[in-house]
Amino acid sequence: MSKYILHKEDSRHHEYNDWLDSKKTFSFGDYYNPKRIHFGALRVFNDDIVKAQKGFGKHPHDNMEIISIPLEGSLIHQDNLGNEEVIRAGEIQVMSTGSGVFHSEYNHETDTATRFLQIWIYPSALNVTPHYGRLTLKDEWFDHRFGTFVAPVASEKAAMIHQDAYLSMGRFSADETFQYTIQQNGNGAYLYVIDGTVEIDGHVLSAGDALGISETAAFDGRVKSGNATLLVVDVPMNIQL
Amino acid sequence: MMTDKTSIQLLAIGYHPEIMQVVHRLINSHDGWQGTIAASMDEAAQLLQRNAYDGILLCAGVTEADEAQVRNIAAGTRVIRHYGGGSGLLENEIRMAFDI
Repeated sequence: MSKYILHKEDSRHHEYNDWLDSKKTFSFGDYYNPKRIHFGALRVFNDDIVKAQKGFGKHPHDNMEIISIPLEGSLIHQDNLGNEEVIRAGEIQVMSTGSGVFHSEYNHETDTATRFLQIWIYPSALNVTPHYGRLTLKDEWFDHRFGTFVAPVASEKAAMIHQDAYLSMGRFSADETFQYTIQQNGNGAYLYVIDGTVEIDGHVLSAGDALGISETAAFDGRVKSGNATLLVVDVPMNIQL
Repeated sequence: MMTDKTSIQLLAIGYHPEIMQVVHRLINSHDGWQGTIAASMDEAAQLLQRNAYDGILLCAGVTEADEAQVRNIAAGTRVIRHYGGGSGLLENEIRMAFDI
């Protein structure tokens, strides 16, 4: 029988300052909730809004797979590997921070906020050589189906990370049904509703809600109203920390 | 197990000097927490022989073989793997390890 963990939008930790409005699904920084540490290998899922030209100054990371998904606006990324890239809505970036990386992320927009999802996944191996990648997403990958754009193996349609984890997105119409198949034995799926309202096994989810689903090989659902955009983070559930 | 310690002494082992500066600063910015940095396994072994620590943080560059060595030298001491490199996870990891 499937196991579910429901994270409603208003259950996220919400904090803001003069440049950042952040909704944190899992414990991070000063926010510590022992019941909200991780979902399998998924450790961080922050929905951040950054004011124009503001952002995260130069800071380090290691041993974490970090995926940034701009939903509105754009980010400018700089790192000590020599990368300087602007990532816009419709594009993603991944950083395998491995043995250590310094980077900064700023809103590249001059007068509007940028909203992006910041997703951290525990790596399957320690101290790998740091790697940066970006990918432009194409709408047709996600129309009426789930398309995978982050995976353990790089392809034309997927950026690579060092974990048996997969990120997929799907866009579905009102009343449309959808099905997602877990991509690897032992993995679970963390489904996040970017837009729309859907129902999965009796759980009604609206924008900002998420459902962790494990101990199943697949699940299906239905769009209840409007068009729906769904993100699935498919991660190993049994991890040694 | 819940701890009522108000002071926590941590040995942080890591081989990336710039990241370890950040780790050190973050540990010591917390009331009651004090960090000592070891930049190599030799230095860590010496420090562990001379001092008692409440916990050992394994940071950038520390391998699984190093971890086994640490657990052997400091049997009974909490060993915490720090992910993220001086990130927002550090405080969480320490609080979780000490149940505080």
